[in-house]
Amino acid sequence: MFAEQEVRDPIHGFIFREPSEQGIVDTPIFQRLRRLKQLALAYEVYPGAVHTRFEHSLGAFHVACRMAKALQLSPEEARLVRLAALLHDVGHGPFSHVSEPILQKYRNGTRVKLAAKQQIHELITAQILRDNKELASWILEKDREKVIGILEGSSGYSVLHDIVSGPLDADKQDYLLRDSYFCGVKYGIYDIEFLISSLRLHADAEDKYLAISGNGIYALEQFVLAKYYMKTQVYQHRIRLITDQMIERGISLGIEVDKLGWLRDLYGYDGSPEHLDNYIGWTDDRLMTRALEESSDCRVKSVFTRLVDRRLLKCILDIDEKDLAEPAVRMKLFAETDESDKFHRALEAMIAGRFKFGEDNDLVICKLVSFPSAVKTESEILVVEPGKKESRFHEKSVIFGTVNEAILKQKFQIYAPVTYKDEKDRNKRRREYREEILGMIGKLAALHQTERPNGVNSEKLRAL
Amino acid sequence: MNATQFVLALLDASGGRLQGRTLLQKKAYFVSLLSGVDPGLGYDAHYYGPYSTVVDSCVAQLKNLGFIAEESMGFGTYNDGFELRRFDYTITSDGKKLLSTLRESPEYKKIDSAVRKIREAGDPNYFELSIAAKAYFILDKKDKPMSNSEIRREAAKFNWNIQHRSLEKAVEFLQKVELTENQRQEAV
Repeated sequence: MFAEQEVRDPIHGFIFREPSEQGIVDTPIFQRLRRLKQLALAYEVYPGAVHTRFEHSLGAFHVACRMAKALQLSPEEARLVRLAALLHDVGHGPFSHVSEPILQKYRNGTRVKLAAKQQIHELITAQILRDNKELASWILEKDREKVIGILEGSSGYSVLHDIVSGPLDADKQDYLLRDSYFCGVKYGIYDIEFLISSLRLHADAEDKYLAISGNGIYALEQFVLAKYYMKTQVYQHRIRLITDQMIERGISLGIEVDKLGWLRDLYGYDGSPEHLDNYIGWTDDRLMTRALEESSDCRVKSVFTRLVDRRLLKCILDIDEKDLAEPAVRMKLFAETDESDKFHRALEAMIAGRFKFGEDNDLVICKLVSFPSAVKTESEILVVEPGKKESRFHEKSVIFGTVNEAILKQKFQIYAPVTYKDEKDRNKRRREYREEILGMIGKLAALHQTERPNGVNSEKLRAL
Repeated sequence: MNATQFVLALLDASGGRLQGRTLLQKKAYFVSLLSGVDPGLGYDAHYYGPYSTVVDSCVAQLKNLGFIAEESMGFGTYNDGFELRRFDYTITSDGKKLLSTLRESPEYKKIDSAVRKIREAGDPNYFELSIAAKAYFILDKKDKPMSNSEIRREAAKFNWNIQHRSLEKAVEFLQKVELTENQRQEAV
């Protein structure tokens, strides 16, 4: 038997692993995480953001170990929750979360039915845990099912799931600090020592839950603010949104226009072992390289060449709901429904038809950006104090008590392959784009209104 | 009809005003059940009873887009000094414009009729509707006849404390709106 192993981590210092956990880390399926960047192409904005899912998984594992210890979980519960945290991201595809909407779009809808909020990379994680032979030699079959259950929230006490997936989970506790560090920003910093020391186990007759002590409120407030600032300043940075959209559009064009079988196979998730075998072979670099090796008339090559050359799309329109006077138009543009998706696609075609971006006409992208409430998910965290009935974070927090609601801020943006000569030219043309596109939105909405319920009349659309 | 339109239609059919988030949540729960219009609200067991994050998001969206207005009012404090607040919702003039077409849809008519049915069944307040929602949520999950004490025991598993008298009243409401079958009526 080997001794416990340690590795140095810039965020948490030494991370210790049991021999069996080290065995898992050494499997090819886990090592693959070294080749999936944590924040996709965020390094186009923050050059230091080249860290990967590998070190984040180790970090989440480390935080989960500390949480299990602080909560005095049984050795068996602690062992399982450590495994769940270590393996929680193993199902991610190239460019991590950017892959998710593409997997959703091109999945085999007949074979794969998704529950509300269910993500395909989570299904793939469970599939890997069940079927991967390398992992099987380190985790017993009964444990694998338990780990999947903890990740899905279907087995063990609630607290186990709360540690790996919940408002105060080890995942967030790690990535806020890690992403801050590698991006070189301070937005995600919070007092992890105090937060972990404030964790409490709250039990009733049926279940056990993750809670915090009364004096942990302030550390939790800081944590919530850190998440909010990271979201607004890093995860939804203007350039990051554009690079994510370019990847997504490039892959879609590769599948739909270039008819590339390898891309269709990668994103055509059907839950089969064959799909999984292929999927786990793909990483950020392999996808990027393969796309760049396609023939020069391939759209995916063109888009990915733009990404590597940093010839990024530009935001030509950035509006919020107040810019649209007509209620029906506002609803169509901002409602986050299938209908508004269709409206966005029709608008993209209209803009491309009007401004004519040549061979890049298919790179006009409409994007609805949502900034949800900073506190909503944390508002229900239990707060326990000796001699008092348990309460909820939103009832206790002075700062967040008044904003316990689904606050939503949305922006509608359009990206296009334009170049500007200088700042003056940019300002002038953005004004022109704005004026024309707002007019187009009005016309298109009127057309949608008259053509309901059968959708837009394509002949009329072309005429416009 | 999508979820956002559903919430707007519900508010309109309820007289253009709903007092309190709990009332809105629970009313949406029952109206969806009674009207058969389900735009994917996805209710889950929550601390305060069946709760839909989708409804919550729709309210946020309708507010953000200027179709409904939210008014918050304090009414006292908890023992520890935390202020109790109620959030009331009304339809704005822009929301009313949007409704002019929405009212023509067959789904709207079903929603309107479900709201009327709730009103005719005694128009329960937020608390009564919340107990009824918890009871129905449990009956629906278990899918079998249950006695009052069985429902209360099951409710305790969700950390829902239901008093005997409140449950009797809730069951009465469920019977009036025909959400409980005869067999269940006898059992409960």
